[in-house]
Amino acid sequence: MTAAYSAAVRERCREPRRAGAWPDGDRAVATGSAGSLDAGALTRLQMRVGPDGRVEDTRFKVFGCSAAIASASYVADALVGATLADAKALAAADVAAALDLPQEKHAMALLATEAAGAAVDAWHAAARAGVAGSGTKEVVS
Amino acid sequence: MSVPAARPIYLDHQATTPVDPRVLAAMLPFFSEHFGNASSRQHAYGWHADAAVDEARQHVAQLVGARPKEIVFTSGATEANNLAIRGAVAARRARGGHIVTVATEHKAVLDVCASLEQQGCAVTRVAVDADGRVDVDRFTAALRPDTVLASVMLANNEIGVLQPVADLARACRAHGVWLHTDAVQAAGHVPVDVAALDVDLASFSAHKMYGPKGVGALYVRRTPKIEIEPELAGGGQERGLRPGTLNVPGIVGFGAAAAVARAGLAAEETRVAALRDRLLALLQHGLGDVTVNGSLAARLPHNLHVSFAGVDGEALMTCLADDVAVSSGSACTSGSREPSHVMTALGRGAVTAWGAVRFGLGRSTTADDIDRAAASVIEHVTRLRKMSPVATGAKA
Repeated sequence: MTAAYSAAVRERCREPRRAGAWPDGDRAVATGSAGSLDAGALTRLQMRVGPDGRVEDTRFKVFGCSAAIASASYVADALVGATLADAKALAAADVAAALDLPQEKHAMALLATEAAGAAVDAWHAAARAGVAGSGTKEVVS
Repeated sequence: MSVPAARPIYLDHQATTPVDPRVLAAMLPFFSEHFGNASSRQHAYGWHADAAVDEARQHVAQLVGARPKEIVFTSGATEANNLAIRGAVAARRARGGHIVTVATEHKAVLDVCASLEQQGCAVTRVAVDADGRVDVDRFTAALRPDTVLASVMLANNEIGVLQPVADLARACRAHGVWLHTDAVQAAGHVPVDVAALDVDLASFSAHKMYGPKGVGALYVRRTPKIEIEPELAGGGQERGLRPGTLNVPGIVGFGAAAAVARAGLAAEETRVAALRDRLLALLQHGLGDVTVNGSLAARLPHNLHVSFAGVDGEALMTCLADDVAVSSGSACTSGSREPSHVMTALGRGAVTAWGAVRFGLGRSTTADDIDRAAASVIEHVTRLRKMSPVATGAKA
């Protein structure tokens, strides 16, 4: 009785966009994560922030179910071009709706948006510390 | 029974099997031609149905080393398990109310025990070792003077591990405890002899052995005679143990499936085990960090249950869906985000538990199926690992 997934979820699971990670030490990159392996899903999201304060590019890594992968991929796509305020405000309900996630999988959309929010927090924390980006510093939601 | 190229390769035979064409042919006349009620003793329609049920009962009995009178037909294995456990507990109330079972049993046993626990029974769930096997001494230590029944599956539905049921039966005999075994996954795939196993009760299902869904059986020992209480009240069918009009087409199908399985069992056991070993070798060669869950030696020949480090089994299933039909965890629980209780009982860490995938090979599985399935699994696991935050010892 695996959840019946939409075509959007299946496609993103089979051919996820923006999967991967940037090497540590890039000062323009902020990293956030949410979830845990023990709980069965861990989402890590990276965003590269441009001089204009907008997200230039993103990468994600996920250990988790199809919904977790699809949600992370969707959020990674949605963040490109967004302001940090918009990235922080991305709603899990909108992600779940866009992917037509089954109700019992909405928590996976929340993981993706929490990871995005944590990445924004990481960026701001790094900015306050006087460095351009967090690099390897990771904020866990 | 070859699978059309457009359909995924079916490697989920432990969830269910297709009805064998010989079984279907045997069943079809009993829907509209020989439609009689097997309990109608007054006319030819009933006699014909009754004779067909008798013949099916013989086939099922022969497959499992029982006598025909020891076979009670049910609506499936869940009902057989309920009848065995609840029926035995009710019949032995004077002795006590303690049940011994095993942590890796099917929900159709564990949930029955939990239900009885709520009604006042005491239940001991014996742990398994890292291979998924029950230790005989540990099991024996759980038996008490008020233990009325032990229930231990012959073969596990997830990891396919075989339990030392004959050894456990000796312990039960010495303590006056009845032993029930859920033999659903084993029957028709490996030799099953309830007399040699010395069990008192055993559950079987037709659809796990190329028969129809909706029909099962409970073996109830007659020498020495075991008397359990029925779950249902009604007509006197099945010697009063399972009242209700008999599902004649289903029972005929079960009998035919048992006969077909018995005739080809030895050869099929060898053939499918070789294919299973081939699948494992291909996966291990193509991917590092592949963990076999449970004993490989004491295992059903058609089961392979592995974890791919760093990869979630459910995600892999979704990726494979167009190519290969497999299962992550047992079919009954993979809809919920809980690790399999079997993997938890093996003491597996979270990542290994979430990464579990069950391959169930079957009568239609060919070497070409295995090669194509392995190639697809390797491709998708490799890709999923690249996006996993979990470090693995995978091959580059």
